[in-house]
Amino acid sequence: MVMLLDKITKSFPGVRALNNASISLAAGEIHALMGENGAGKSTLIKIITGIHRQDSGSMTLDGEEISLTSPREAIRLGITAVHQERNLIPRFSIAENILLEQLPTKNGLVDFGRANTEAREHLAKIGLDVDPAIEVRHLSVAQMQMVEIAKALSHKAKVLLLDEPTASLTSAETETLFKLVRQLKAEGTAIVFVSHKLEEVLSLCDRVTVLRDGETTLEGADMAGMTRQTLIEAMIGRAERIVAHRDPRPSQGDAKLEVRRLSTAAGHKDISFKLGRGEILGLYGLVGAGRTELARAMLGKDRITGGEVIIDGKPARIRSVEDAVKRHRIGYVSEDRKHEGVILDHPIRSNIAITVWSRIARALGFLTARDETAVAMPLSRQLEIRTPSLEQLVGNLSGGNQQKVSLSKWLAANADILIIDEPTVGIDIKAKAYFHELINDLADKGMSILLISSDMPEMVTLADRILVMHEFAIVSEYANDRRYENASRAIMSAIHAGREHSRAAAH
Amino acid sequence: MNRILSFAIRQQWSGILAGVIVGGIALSFATPQFLSEFNWFVMLRSICVSLLVAFSQMVMLGVGQMNLSVGALGGLVAIIVGGLMDAWGMPPLPAILIAIAAGGAAGFINGWLTVRTGINGFIVTLATASAFAGINTGITRAIPFYNLPPEFVAFGNGRLGPFPYLLIIPLIVTVLLAVFFSRVKTGRYMLAVGGNAHAAQLSGISVPRAIITAHVISGLTAAAAGVLAVAQLGSAQPSIGAEWLVISFAAPIIGGASLAGGSISILGTVIAVMLIGLIQNAMVLLAVDPYWVTFLLGALILTAVWINRYRAYRMGED
Repeated sequence: MVMLLDKITKSFPGVRALNNASISLAAGEIHALMGENGAGKSTLIKIITGIHRQDSGSMTLDGEEISLTSPREAIRLGITAVHQERNLIPRFSIAENILLEQLPTKNGLVDFGRANTEAREHLAKIGLDVDPAIEVRHLSVAQMQMVEIAKALSHKAKVLLLDEPTASLTSAETETLFKLVRQLKAEGTAIVFVSHKLEEVLSLCDRVTVLRDGETTLEGADMAGMTRQTLIEAMIGRAERIVAHRDPRPSQGDAKLEVRRLSTAAGHKDISFKLGRGEILGLYGLVGAGRTELARAMLGKDRITGGEVIIDGKPARIRSVEDAVKRHRIGYVSEDRKHEGVILDHPIRSNIAITVWSRIARALGFLTARDETAVAMPLSRQLEIRTPSLEQLVGNLSGGNQQKVSLSKWLAANADILIIDEPTVGIDIKAKAYFHELINDLADKGMSILLISSDMPEMVTLADRILVMHEFAIVSEYANDRRYENASRAIMSAIHAGREHSRAAAH
Repeated sequence: MNRILSFAIRQQWSGILAGVIVGGIALSFATPQFLSEFNWFVMLRSICVSLLVAFSQMVMLGVGQMNLSVGALGGLVAIIVGGLMDAWGMPPLPAILIAIAAGGAAGFINGWLTVRTGINGFIVTLATASAFAGINTGITRAIPFYNLPPEFVAFGNGRLGPFPYLLIIPLIVTVLLAVFFSRVKTGRYMLAVGGNAHAAQLSGISVPRAIITAHVISGLTAAAAGVLAVAQLGSAQPSIGAEWLVISFAAPIIGGASLAGGSISILGTVIAVMLIGLIQNAMVLLAVDPYWVTFLLGALILTAVWINRYRAYRMGED
């Protein structure tokens, strides 16, 4: 074994992220690391790469016990990673980003000529044909991803971690990546491959470790003999659940919201769709497809440059967020809960009542804790927010309960249209199931919901129809029959077709 | 020619360079004194200190931090260099070296406190600014050091045609910084940290070291500005540095630096300092109330930042 992590435990305030988790990596293998959001994968990755330190448990590299104090230390020992979030410096060239901490110098000065030559070799290895002198901010999301991989490969790594590397790649790019990964495996690198895509994992990886609630439920199991079902059971502790068949939703004739040929300053072109009363409309796409930006435009945060938004049959001009919330009753549950969803160091009652402050304010704009509590209490009960008191600061709640607060305020505001962006990222499995039921319930009661999610099973479980977005345009619409295989195939092929189309147009 | 022009327009400093040229031409028509050799000497000499002050803050912006103590630090160094020569009778060269080293040490304290305490650098330097200013008045009791060696004062007043001798110092610093930030690893690391600290850290770059280095360089340049100010005035006034803060932010930002960090322009800063010097000169020549200069500076910062935002938006960078 090249690397062994044994009985790793790590706690953060309020959560035990890892509990006696173990993983062993052999030279020349591709090892899948799986688990649901919040299962502890990213914590484990951060410990392996020296960003966090474990509370207890041991780490061994080449038979010697190591203790990592910084990412720098990890890189020096031959442990490199491509993280899920983009980690490039926008105003630096591709070459400089790839070679950042190992830039070639001549007479004490950085030798950019040689840097470009070296970078070109690294780029050639991964089959990316771009000028290394270009600044990375000019690249597409997929190209940036490839640059990050080239950067990780520029170190002669013993252990290479790839965290969701295919999230923004097309099938052709994914194939190139896989070929490369297999080649690295043949050269003896231990590769950790983190992915949500079961098909990828089943076809690419040799062994698999699965985390659930911070514990290892499968430890280095041989991939031969694994199926989709066994992996899912290991991840969620039960068989995949297909949500019970629902009554058909109202027809589209009764549209609550209609968008006609909308274009925005963010770059959307010709977006048209209808959202029915009591309908859940899914908006699916790869990272960077423009979904969140569309939500921002609907909220008056990004400028709309053309087309029409029609609410209740009447043209609606959304001038500002205040306008969207107060006049058009559009609510937004942000994907970035901690920054946009809630105010962490304010109590629960204020976080929920914030949307109705102008309604509950007394003379001279006075707000009382009692009035806020009166608004927040029934919602807190209805959504089963687990807390000793509504005075509790939201920052002290678990992710799931924070998300309930973030959603409650729109129920308080009586929103008719709710845009929900990645509702279950980073919250535990039980809370996730709860949210799915809640979203279904809200739709049944007549709320119109635009659901943005990158979680395909979630999309298939909840959405009545699924719009597929690619490069700021809607490329396909899919009437959801709630069968995962069908939906996933149809949606991915729509995205690939969109990619090929724009590529052909570029040539 | 066309290529040169389109290159210039793409640069953030193109607007202010045009401002300098147009302003200069207008001034030379408005008042004949403007073109006199002595006026140029006065204008260039005032630019010397401003440029070093601007660099002192620019370095911090590059690493994504701020230094509110540039003025207090420079003022303290001015007092140290003056005191060493006047009260202790030290010759200029060792006095200058000790004073500059003290500036570097003060910068190191700023950086070390920021990194070790985890307190926001804004607050740390706000506090040390007060501390440095306190030491300054504690030493001087608000009385300047007047008795400076004649050769030191002569250097501060000497000139070659319109060019003050003092100009040589900021010129050297400009070249050093330009090379440092474009070609030296440490300089590139600092910009990397300013551009995306998280990414830099994950690449194995030491963020604390980059921040401390920036503070040390900031301290050294502020110290150089303090020494130059003493040479220029011919005495070590306790009030030196008191009005540096606005210009320290104004010049780099007008020159195109991003407050978010990681993006600075040395040439832009130089041109911005020239523009500010030109405006100050114009106010003197046209006998405008000097207090209005400060007002104009504020208006200029807002205009420059607003134009840069608009430019970035039009070029699809925002």
